[in-house]
Amino acid sequence: MKRIITLSACTALAVVALWAFSPVEKAAKDELKIGAKAPMLETPVMDVSGKKITLKEVGKENGLLVNFSCNTCPWVSRWEDRYNPIAKLAKEHGVGVIALNPNAAIRDGGESLEDMKKRSDKNSYNFYYALDKDSRIAKAFGATRTPHIYVFNSEMELVYRGAIDDNARSAEGVEKPYLKNAIKEMAAGKEISDKTSKSLGCTIKFPASE
Amino acid sequence: MLLVVVVFSVMNCSNSPDEPEVKTAHVEKKTPLLEDVDGEALQQIINSYKGKKAVLVNVWATWCVPCVEEFPEIVKIQRKYPKELRVIFVSADFPEDRSRAKKFLKDHNVDWTTYFKTAKDEAFINSLSKDWTGALPFSKIIDRKGNEVAHWENKASFDTFNKHVKQAIKP
Repeated sequence: MKRIITLSACTALAVVALWAFSPVEKAAKDELKIGAKAPMLETPVMDVSGKKITLKEVGKENGLLVNFSCNTCPWVSRWEDRYNPIAKLAKEHGVGVIALNPNAAIRDGGESLEDMKKRSDKNSYNFYYALDKDSRIAKAFGATRTPHIYVFNSEMELVYRGAIDDNARSAEGVEKPYLKNAIKEMAAGKEISDKTSKSLGCTIKFPASE
Repeated sequence: MLLVVVVFSVMNCSNSPDEPEVKTAHVEKKTPLLEDVDGEALQQIINSYKGKKAVLVNVWATWCVPCVEEFPEIVKIQRKYPKELRVIFVSADFPEDRSRAKKFLKDHNVDWTTYFKTAKDEAFINSLSKDWTGALPFSKIIDRKGNEVAHWENKASFDTFNKHVKQAIKP
């Protein structure tokens, strides 16, 4: 009897272990819709400066730019030469800028706050770079990859979602500067020409419970 | 003359565009391991299997950790269903990493033609699925009749691939 109970317990444990560690297929997540209000505006996030901030505090008179970014994705590296110029452009147009690192599952694999600080220092980031604890904000936004851009207007309504531009490989080769256009058009009170766009990118490494 | 006819016949058989054979060293020499593809051409390749085989499209890259992790499982799936399924790998590596992608394919004993994305991201992504946000890896399974069985972003296990492929290969 004891043997049967032990065997059953082991089997149950094995099933639980398999369930816990097997990768699960995922359908595309529901991304924040154009016009939707920015969620989690008042959730504090830790910036590489050591200061806690909220998205609400980062936003400026004309809006907010959120970039889900990280340290370990080659696509981020390819686009990174455009990070500072775009942040400068956004600030000049009254738009606050923050990059959030959502890779909670691999904090020990190059995505810790310390790693983020090094990245920010190395590339002289001229914008906030904060840690999205447990990928909570990424989940609320429906973000799936890095880099993944969200732009909100002064009412904190989503006006643009998607890629930085249409050419990760080369800033010179860009034909459609989606994000720059969205910032300029939004600040000028115009309709955004391309409200959404897509690009390839690295999957966000959500926590294991995802 | 006889020799010429024999050689010509062999070449014709091995170069069948829609049914590249798996697993023979002879064909490996003649079948390119990595060919350029855009969204439209990829769709034509997928369509060429309609009525013949189910198709599993997997978009991957050598720099993508989850892609690299699931890759051997997909190769196993192709080996498990050589007659019923064609796995179509599409590398989304940067152009300068093409040789790296080719080496990766060889290291994983892939001996059938796979593809290298050349199109702009958005057009390519939408050609495969409107639901795909662009995160890698991406997989899509199509049954013998050309109907989509499943698609998803992120990596999956052998069992997950197998479950959908079994459904796709049903006569």
